[in-house]
Amino acid sequence: MKDRLEKFVQDNREEFDVFEPRTELWQQICQELPQKSPEKEAKVIKVSFGDRASFSADYFFMRVAAAIVLLVGCGLTLFLMKQQTLDTAGTLAANQSITTEAPEGIEAVAPELPEIEAYYASQIEEKKTELSEYDLKVLGLDEHQLVDKELADLDSSYAALKKQLYTAPNTDEIIDAMVQNLWLRTKVLNRQLEILQRLQQNQQEKEPTQEPQNDDTTNV
Amino acid sequence: MEKIGYQDVNQEVVQRCKGGDHRAQYELYKLYAKAMFNVSMRITNDYAEAEDVLQEAFVSAFKNLHSYKGEASFGSWLKKIVINAAINAVRKRRSELVPMDERTVANVPDEVTEDDAEWQVEQVRRAIQMLPDGYRVVLSLYLLEGYDHAEIGEVLGISESTSKSQYSRARKKLLEILKEPQFVA
Repeated sequence: MKDRLEKFVQDNREEFDVFEPRTELWQQICQELPQKSPEKEAKVIKVSFGDRASFSADYFFMRVAAAIVLLVGCGLTLFLMKQQTLDTAGTLAANQSITTEAPEGIEAVAPELPEIEAYYASQIEEKKTELSEYDLKVLGLDEHQLVDKELADLDSSYAALKKQLYTAPNTDEIIDAMVQNLWLRTKVLNRQLEILQRLQQNQQEKEPTQEPQNDDTTNV
Repeated sequence: MEKIGYQDVNQEVVQRCKGGDHRAQYELYKLYAKAMFNVSMRITNDYAEAEDVLQEAFVSAFKNLHSYKGEASFGSWLKKIVINAAINAVRKRRSELVPMDERTVANVPDEVTEDDAEWQVEQVRRAIQMLPDGYRVVLSLYLLEGYDHAEIGEVLGISESTSKSQYSRARKKLLEILKEPQFVA
């Protein structure tokens, strides 16, 4: 009883396949398949045909591996770049607020350095020209020479730091030190300026009373 | 199901497909599209859905060709993909595919007296199409796709004995339909 239906189907198996998909269907399938250039196809066929099927698999694996490496590389670069821009943006903002207020704890990364250097160089130059103006007017040259020596010391240590920057692994710390160094110079110059300013003020205050004093002494 | 000799004929084409050769892919498509479409049709019982299934199955087959190691013929490997895709499509459409509940079973009389009426292929084919999803799928897989009950059980996620009883019910129902007036030639 079972056999009759089974036998009937078996005998007429071909006739049961009456449907056909639309001819356009292949185009749709094709669009979903990964495209490959004819050259590459030819290469793979030739290689995989030679002796071993596994080689074509290896070839495929290599391509996948290369693609993954490339992707990961790109991703990592992008990620790092994004992080760096975030970092620099942060320090830039910090710098701008800090240089005007308290320059302690500046954290900078290498690309920032020229900007920082330029800023401090202009500051130092400004202070130095101001100082040189006083220099002529005021006494106490000894102290000024001391300042020059201190500045020279700072300069040499700065140069040493800059050399280290190219070899040391932790650039952040060195850049920190360098910024500290630059800031120290401006501070030294500022102090000097203050001193000279005060001296000048003292002198100007004293000048009117100096003559009578002189007179006094001459009188005495 | 295809024999090993057939597989050997396809091996070269399959190898080229692995390299992404579209012409080779088309060759395989031409060779199997009709048979696979009818497999898909029998399970889904819906032309548009059967096409979607066929497309999905071929795309998936070509993309995952590297996992085809040649342990079975390419045809039966592909057929399994088509059947799985089709079953998923039917499941998505109707949640109560297999196992069938008792309600449907109750509709089928236990005894179907066999007569010697001549069958026409078209009659039987349309009668199969009239079966409810659960019956149609099991009966098609068994009668037309040449799956045994163990394979049907595996692909449908049911036990072998469930497949057997499901098939015998489906068969009874089919014979019943064939006796309906519009089917008697």
